[in-house]
Amino acid sequence: MSEEAGIIMSVEHITKEFPAAGGKTLRACDDISFHVRKGETVAIVGESGCGKTTLLKTIMNMQPPTSGRVIFRGKDITKLTGEDKRENYRHIQMVFQDPTAAFNPKMLVKDIICEPLLNFGMVAKADVERKAMDLLAQVELPPDFANRYPHNMSGGQRQRVAIARALALEPEIIACDEATSALDVSVQDTIIKLLVKLQKEKGITYIFICHDLALVSLFCHRVTVMYLGNIMEKLDGGKLEEARHPYTQALLRAVFSTDQEKNQRIAILPGDIPSPLDLPTGCPFQNRCSYCEELCRKEKPSLQEIAPNHFVACHCSKRTTV
Amino acid sequence: MLLNLSHVDISYQGSEKPTVQDVSLELAEGERLAIVGESGSGKTTVIRAVLGCLPGGGRVSGGSITFEGKNLLDLSVDGWQKIRGKDISMIFQDSGNMMNPVHTIGKQYVEYIRVHSDMSKKEAYDKAVELLTMMNLPNPENIMESYTFELSGGMRQRVGIAMAITFQPKLLLADEPTSALDVTTQAQIVGELMYISGTNAAMIIVTHNIGVASCLGDKLMVMQGGHVVEYGKTDDVLSHPKAEYTKTLLAAVPEIGGKRYV
Repeated sequence: MSEEAGIIMSVEHITKEFPAAGGKTLRACDDISFHVRKGETVAIVGESGCGKTTLLKTIMNMQPPTSGRVIFRGKDITKLTGEDKRENYRHIQMVFQDPTAAFNPKMLVKDIICEPLLNFGMVAKADVERKAMDLLAQVELPPDFANRYPHNMSGGQRQRVAIARALALEPEIIACDEATSALDVSVQDTIIKLLVKLQKEKGITYIFICHDLALVSLFCHRVTVMYLGNIMEKLDGGKLEEARHPYTQALLRAVFSTDQEKNQRIAILPGDIPSPLDLPTGCPFQNRCSYCEELCRKEKPSLQEIAPNHFVACHCSKRTTV
Repeated sequence: MLLNLSHVDISYQGSEKPTVQDVSLELAEGERLAIVGESGSGKTTVIRAVLGCLPGGGRVSGGSITFEGKNLLDLSVDGWQKIRGKDISMIFQDSGNMMNPVHTIGKQYVEYIRVHSDMSKKEAYDKAVELLTMMNLPNPENIMESYTFELSGGMRQRVGIAMAITFQPKLLLADEPTSALDVTTQAQIVGELMYISGTNAAMIIVTHNIGVASCLGDKLMVMQGGHVVEYGKTDDVLSHPKAEYTKTLLAAVPEIGGKRYV
């Protein structure tokens, strides 16, 4: 596949800064670039405060970036205004972490699912019930759920309703912000299987924000690892074990397993994430990195392609063992 | 046996059937038991019953709970106060929420120590600093002056653990101690829990993270809908799960290098 083929969204050099107290600026995203290919799942992984949600809000056009652009359907969507901006929302939909908070508790499920369609005049009021049942069937829920309220169902069922609502407009991209983090593991498993099934049927593209590398490794095509607003590593989802960045490796070694032998290899990453208001010069990961050397404190590493489709921002990536 | 639960039923007000039914378990000194299960399976209810602090009109409606030979269900309020926080203590999901946000951590820590002992303020302060240091917290004096919201989740959890082990309890109850934390912080806190269990405290860890439970527990209990579906040595349960539900649960845990869906 050539470099350009199949790309439906390009995120180019997105930087987002927020003003903070004392005249400081907080740089939540620093020069973030990646491509999204049609029918693939891109995961953005990182711990709290790494800027993954800020990045998603920028991609979703909910807030303008400080600099950089997002090219989607041939246009820079961060510059859209008015009707063009509204029209753009048809093609990118979102699934949130907490489905309880994402719904109006006084609306019936059929009204929740069909609200986006009504907004864009794509369904007649008389057809709402039928359309809702259609969409419920796609997420494997019984049709009589259309006349229920969101509080009358379990967390997993609510998340299916949220997915049905996102599917209603037949978007090209669905962005999931920790969409399975609030769910139990067995429910999480069924939701992921559903997302994968829908992707195969409809060729939907997902941008999946998550902190769980093990989960991401099961179904994502591309993984982007972030730390303190910077991309540390980009690699294929099936090749996580080849990760070369010390931070990605630390994340991998912090995953608890049901395999006791693997648990023997758990390694503890010392220290806390430094304050994003007061970042050191050089590599953002320097104070927790066991490979840190003189150069890391002076100069911030840039993303280098060390293998096809595998980018690492680390001065020491030659020394980090797999 | 340090702790013995025999055929315990727990009921909440307004429900006819007991919420938790027929739970039996044994815990020896220094032993670690992990209870796993999904939301609503009753795992937290079990350890709350052990600590005698069931919320909302909950009560043990059948069976017995004995701790060091004493029947905990017969204890008076005074009797509970001697045991709770001293012989049996608890680590909560977010230790920030268990503390008062308008007082400094130091003030609450010193108060807690002085309620349970006859130390002077100075002695209590020194003891608190010593324990915070033991939990790998940098600048413990600074932490004593801080409010809970000024600390990160991992630091708050360390403070909670330090408080819980102040009096070298014989039994530590931990309710989802790592669920609110990031993965790397979770590994740090699991490390601290392993370390304190070396001090001979028995532990019951309630968690929905089966990986964490496998790592921490000598014994593993799987609960579903208020019932115990499996209970045994961790290695046995993991390698030869008997109950269908345990098998489903284990199969749903995502693993690095596991079978990919795409």
